Amino acid sequence: MTDTLDLPTKRQEEWRWSDMAALEAAAQSPAGEAPDADGWFIDGLDGPRLVFVDGEYQAGRSDAGPVTLEQLSADTDHPLGRRAAGAGWVLRVGEGGAKTCIQIVHLGSGGANHVPARIELAADATASIVETYAGTGWANRLTQIDLARGARLMRSVRLLQSGGFVSLRDEAEIGEAASLVSIVLGAGDMGSRIDGNLRLTGDGAFAEMGGALLTRDSQSQEAAVVVHHAKPEGSSRQIWRAVAADTSTASLAARVEVARDAQHTDGEQSLRGLLLKRSATVNLKPELEIFADDVKCAHGATVGELDKRALFYLESRGVAPARAQALLTRAFVADALDRIGEEAVREAFADNADRWLESAL
Amino acid sequence: MLKIENLHAEIDGKEILKGLDLEIRPGEIHAIMGPNGAGKSTLGYVLGGRDGYEVTQGSVEFEGRNLLDMEPHERAAAGVFLGFQYPVEIPGISNVQFLREALNAQRKARGEEPLSGGEFLKRARAQADALGMEQDMLKRPVNVGFSGGEKKRNEMVQMGIIDPKFAILDETDSGLDIDALKTVGEGINRIMRKPDKAVLLITHYQRLLEYVEPDAVHVLAAGRIVRSGGPELAVELEREGYQAVAA
Repeated sequence: MTDTLDLPTKRQEEWRWSDMAALEAAAQSPAGEAPDADGWFIDGLDGPRLVFVDGEYQAGRSDAGPVTLEQLSADTDHPLGRRAAGAGWVLRVGEGGAKTCIQIVHLGSGGANHVPARIELAADATASIVETYAGTGWANRLTQIDLARGARLMRSVRLLQSGGFVSLRDEAEIGEAASLVSIVLGAGDMGSRIDGNLRLTGDGAFAEMGGALLTRDSQSQEAAVVVHHAKPEGSSRQIWRAVAADTSTASLAARVEVARDAQHTDGEQSLRGLLLKRSATVNLKPELEIFADDVKCAHGATVGELDKRALFYLESRGVAPARAQALLTRAFVADALDRIGEEAVREAFADNADRWLESAL
Repeated sequence: MLKIENLHAEIDGKEILKGLDLEIRPGEIHAIMGPNGAGKSTLGYVLGGRDGYEVTQGSVEFEGRNLLDMEPHERAAAGVFLGFQYPVEIPGISNVQFLREALNAQRKARGEEPLSGGEFLKRARAQADALGMEQDMLKRPVNVGFSGGEKKRNEMVQMGIIDPKFAILDETDSGLDIDALKTVGEGINRIMRKPDKAVLLITHYQRLLEYVEPDAVHVLAAGRIVRSGGPELAVELEREGYQAVAA
């Protein structure tokens, strides 16, 4: 894996903001000792806990509950996702079943690791999964999701690696009246590429993918998500926030496609960037491609700095400048993280964002 | 308590304050009146320490300390409160969160223990009640969706919670209907009319002064105080107009 990686290049439109050099460096870094798994699980959540170290499942340190470990093929064209074939994890929930608060911690020590995953929820089944990435190296993941009629999946993913690179490829089929919510927080010092392709293939389906990318130093993180409405009455939301400090780069590309048959689609897309320094970069690329004639797609994309009047207002009431910046920045990312349903998870994510802000400001 | 001497200040190279002198002793309420553009709000911002307002000459002492050397949050911790003419909307931060953060930052800077959530809420509710602000508004994002009058009331609730030694109130009366004006006036008296506190009221009209009786009234014109007197000066200004009085 260390010689020719055959990675996408900046000449390809979908990869023009990608930091494949950081990915390559992470892939070639030597493996060492992975950090301890304790501390990366969220307290107060009673549920199965799985630990992967450098992509290998740690049976002795895990309680897999309903999750099974299986050999999976990587049935995708995605240039990174297709590398993730082999030993992975599967969650299948039968009709009407509920498997919640499943926590998966991925620890990396260096080098490349690839893990495929499948999540299959039968009709009216419910599941919630929290994934946390810590350590270093290149963690590459392919997660394929299939939601039958009325199924509901809540996914929360934290990228907290201290270095290296995390690439996620999510591919989802969302059936009639089914609901997928995926929230991603990038608050570590790794590079990242979060890639999503969500297809609403049943009437009245709901898809949401969003989150917050926080970057500093010379780090680069990006998200590129496509939501495809194939059937009528579907709704989708893409609420992303990017905060960039120092000379870092945060990029968001979000695309909504509405097929001719997908009448009465309700799409919302909100991409907002905040520059903490003028030397930082935020790239935003909102795209709408609509072939149906009776749809509602609200969209907005803005980049700015912290409101100086608001900073002075806070300071004049006694709040120190760094804390005032942190409060305003937290308020800026709150929209995106407030989507997380479980309170303990939402608070843990908000804490991670806070800690990032306090050290970056 | 506050001593301003020969204060000159400019914005973007344009001189707005041109040698202002003012002394306020503990227990006193002073009103600064004057036409728009006289430099009233500039004085408020200079005392609050806002960026972009450059002091080119003169001095400001607060309780014997050089106020101009202090950062805005240090001035707050020292006991200075600036009531804004246009309070800022802050989406994503609740009033309660904002004020608890502010109060505890000040307490910490003074070496005092922080207030617990319960103690703080008790204090906040009492002030909201006294100033006729709905309890609900404490939980809402700071000033977001508040009417002009509600924002001003919120400034007074903040002042009540923070309990400063010295308050600069910039056009606190504008945007208030007559009932709200009375409530706010009573609030200023209740919170600030004390032997060890002082207030600088910046106002365009004398209406608020019917509820908060000043010990001294000053007329500010073209960056300087051109006349000072007792409460009767406000009445004269109302009757005769600034031009006649400042001439």
